[in-house]
Amino acid sequence: MNISYELNDRSEGVTMNHQYNLTTNEKIVLIDLGKQGNLAPAELAQISGLKVETVIQSAFMLQEKGLVDVLEQVIETYNLTSEGEEYARSGLPERQMILAISGPTSLEELKEKVSPKIVSIATGWLRRKGWANIEQGNVIPLGKADIGDDEKALISLSNGEVTSEQLGVASSIVQELIKRKLVNRNEKKLRTFRITADGEELVRDGITLEEEIAQITSEMIKSGEWKEKKFRPYDIHTSPRIIYGAKVHPYQRLIDQMRQIFLEMGFTEIKGDIVQSSFWNFDALFQPQDHPAREMQDTFHLKGTSELPAEYKDKVRAMHEHGGEIGSKGWGGNWSEEIACKNVLRTHTTAVTIKYLADNPKPPIKAFSIDRAYRRETIDPTHTPEFEQLEGVVMDKGITFANLLGLLSEFYHRMGFKDVRFRPGYFPYTEPSVEPEVYVEGLGWVELGGAGVFRKEVTHPLGIKYPVLAWGLGVSRLAMLKLDLKDLRELYQSDIDWLRKTPSPKL
Amino acid sequence: MPVITLDYNDLEKLTGADKKTIIEHIPMIGADIERIEADHVDIEFFPSRPDLYSVEGTARAMRGFLGVEKGLCEYEVRPYSVEIYKDAAIDEIRPVLGCAVVRGMQFTSSSIKSLMDLQEDLHWAVGRDRKKVSIGVHDMTYIKPPFKYQAVDPDFRFVPLDFTEPLSMKEILEKHPKGVRFAHLVDGLSKYPLITDANDNVLSFPPIINGTLTRVHEGTTDLFIDVTGLSDAVYTALVIVTSALAERGGHVEFVRIINADGTDKLTPDMFSDIWKLTSEEVMDLSGIELSPKDIVELLERMRFGAKVLEDGTVEVQVPGYRADILDNSDLIEDIAIAYGYKNIKPILPLSATVGTQHPLSSERGHVRDIMVGLGYSEVMPFTLTSEKVHFEWMCRPVTDDVTCVIHPISEDQTMVRTTLLPNLMEILSFNQHRELPQRIFEVGEVVVSGKNSLHLAAVSIHASANFTEVRELLDAIMRERQTSYEIVGSEDPAFIKGRCADILINGNKVGVIGEIYPQVLINFGLGQPVVGFEIKLL
Repeated sequence: MNISYELNDRSEGVTMNHQYNLTTNEKIVLIDLGKQGNLAPAELAQISGLKVETVIQSAFMLQEKGLVDVLEQVIETYNLTSEGEEYARSGLPERQMILAISGPTSLEELKEKVSPKIVSIATGWLRRKGWANIEQGNVIPLGKADIGDDEKALISLSNGEVTSEQLGVASSIVQELIKRKLVNRNEKKLRTFRITADGEELVRDGITLEEEIAQITSEMIKSGEWKEKKFRPYDIHTSPRIIYGAKVHPYQRLIDQMRQIFLEMGFTEIKGDIVQSSFWNFDALFQPQDHPAREMQDTFHLKGTSELPAEYKDKVRAMHEHGGEIGSKGWGGNWSEEIACKNVLRTHTTAVTIKYLADNPKPPIKAFSIDRAYRRETIDPTHTPEFEQLEGVVMDKGITFANLLGLLSEFYHRMGFKDVRFRPGYFPYTEPSVEPEVYVEGLGWVELGGAGVFRKEVTHPLGIKYPVLAWGLGVSRLAMLKLDLKDLRELYQSDIDWLRKTPSPKL
Repeated sequence: MPVITLDYNDLEKLTGADKKTIIEHIPMIGADIERIEADHVDIEFFPSRPDLYSVEGTARAMRGFLGVEKGLCEYEVRPYSVEIYKDAAIDEIRPVLGCAVVRGMQFTSSSIKSLMDLQEDLHWAVGRDRKKVSIGVHDMTYIKPPFKYQAVDPDFRFVPLDFTEPLSMKEILEKHPKGVRFAHLVDGLSKYPLITDANDNVLSFPPIINGTLTRVHEGTTDLFIDVTGLSDAVYTALVIVTSALAERGGHVEFVRIINADGTDKLTPDMFSDIWKLTSEEVMDLSGIELSPKDIVELLERMRFGAKVLEDGTVEVQVPGYRADILDNSDLIEDIAIAYGYKNIKPILPLSATVGTQHPLSSERGHVRDIMVGLGYSEVMPFTLTSEKVHFEWMCRPVTDDVTCVIHPISEDQTMVRTTLLPNLMEILSFNQHRELPQRIFEVGEVVVSGKNSLHLAAVSIHASANFTEVRELLDAIMRERQTSYEIVGSEDPAFIKGRCADILINGNKVGVIGEIYPQVLINFGLGQPVVGFEIKLL
């Protein structure tokens, strides 16, 4: 605040009354009111050099402290309507008409001289004011037409809004003009401030005006000026303006927390292409070639094809056709390379996982991925054609289904689910299979993902010699739970307001 | 997966246990309860267990699981009295046939419905909607053996089920609701499959429709069952149907199938494979330590026949209806289910390993930190988009490195994106009524010529967005990434000419930067200037 300069030479009195804890502005207002008696805000502003709003605000604060009375008086004022303004310029209709004629004149003739509207208004008033008679459609002037008080009032009102005292005509005249819709009546609150006895006493005792620091400036800090001055106390209870910072997508934050869990558990992150051959997406996972999930209605098929891996394709063929070398029954029928080499958008991240296991056959392997998978689903609140899938695999000597349950318990506990239970499940490429369920307050037991031990029909043709434990879950469904979303689309086609307002989630 | 309706009366009668106990335990043999109603429960069974797709099959499994009855369910099959001749021509069309006769049935409306439901669920789950397997069930009253499975001219006429007038087979495919629905299965054939009796009465036109003559009703006692198809799944379906009828007290009879070359075969084959299993194998896969005797007991609860051999191995008899048993792991899963998953002690694996994040993730994480620090918020749009948004709205020509899906599900998702900017423009478009400025970015994958690539893109929209702003942004990112780069003026129709540049690293183009062309803004419904850039990271 820059009021300090004008205040310095206004300092007066010697003691300070701490009881009231007045701001500088309040002190100025009080001192000025003490000198001047009643003052209107504008007058007070002029005297004190403060802004009108500041004066009003300070006076009200002083009123709360019992140092100032705020007096309110209602006064009446008048101003012209737009019709009134017109007549103030060109005369009342009856005046216009009486000026337009010198002897008896027919109404038809008059309508050509002045406007028909004016004629119809004026005739009544000519008779009423005794300026003319109207006989058989003729206006006969009576030779007398003095300027009336109403006309005087119109003229004085044409300078702007006035009070009735300022107008100085009988109230009946004003009422008539209001009835003629030429004048508006207004009510105005007139506010004045007056110092109370307590206020006067305080001023008598003396008020010290001293400079207060509002915004600290660089100069103040450097000069040390702040040491001699008081810091104006702020109202710390004022509600803050709501602002939003830039942020990581809440869903990404959840994904990163899950990645963190895997990394802490000693898993290596793997990634792969979105475009995969049917071979890696289905055949390598022992999905029969006539399985409904492979059809056009469930999977996004692409135009291109991929070359089949020479080291695996014959072994995979043998497994599908007759169970290969492990005594399985296989699926029977003929396995077609043409079907296997067709490209698809990966329907699960397992297409990437299985290739990683084939490429890295040395145990122990612990790997995970959280990436997008694609299914040919119509978009609705709980289905989207692409979604994130989480997957973990462990390949090691001597590991069993019981170890899988151990891993799942640990994993889900770290995800924040205290209670986990297991039910039999079915997945085409695992045996045994299990559906983990977690307990969610308010929802009960919720199925969350699937898991199992990879079938030998899957691992053997790829040269994977040890058991593989695997589990996966749909991350977007979990995000719905954690972010309290009703519609999955909100994650992908985000409302910026939702992004701004959604607090960073925690698992 | 098929949802099976199980009637409580039937289920309690056939299982010998109360419905509460049954419903409590059903999920533990591998099923999801869909709905519990006043008189029935709807259950989704796994596709691997078509033998559970009937109240009879479920009751059989539950009797074992609850300990009411254990071991292999042996169904007596009586000698054949009915023969069926297989025409040579049929081998080209629908070669596999399995038949059975079941006598002494007593049907109620609910048990007829159960049989029809089973037939439909098998058509779907085992038969791939009748393509691989289709089943016909016939009342034997008005038909006379021997029967004949042949291939006939499409003009052959008979009265199909639900009709009163004869239609030619060709007409059935055009007029009968089932004909219309399944016509594609005989598409392109010059002759159609047909099963007739000794007097040329029609039993069925597989896999389309039965004749009206053999309709099954509440008074029906003796049934002839035909299952036709393309693979051995035919025999599995036949065993599932006949064993379900045997569970209801029917007497099963063999049918003699006589091939054109004179060889013959008796069906149904209710007995199937013998498997061998050791306790070590069970331990290795499941982690449950069990003696051979324990294994036998658990297998019997799952309705297998089992005994311990002298060398300590367990011999397992797998009933013909268990089509899901491909190798020992399937048996071990059943042992674990019988043991109870809740009784298995979870143990963490012992091997020590070191976790490592993928280089792509560390790159993404770094870039994300930089962008958020610069005041940009992250978005994660779909990667599927359309040519319209990706090219047309961006005023850019279609490129030839695009991955298009063959059968898009909607016109909004016909291709995988090759760039990120159109996605960001779309998000601005969704947020036209939200407060400005809006500054968003994505660091995500695109697919170019079938391969993933990691891109970064950012846009800023507000009344005074200009080239300087985005130029400063790019410069800050490059400094933070310690990458030297240069920009050279270029023409990209998505940007305003003269306010657009290519971003080069080591002389190679890695991205674009500029002020978005007003027509692009209009295409996305935007009324404020937008600036942005996109670069390839990896």
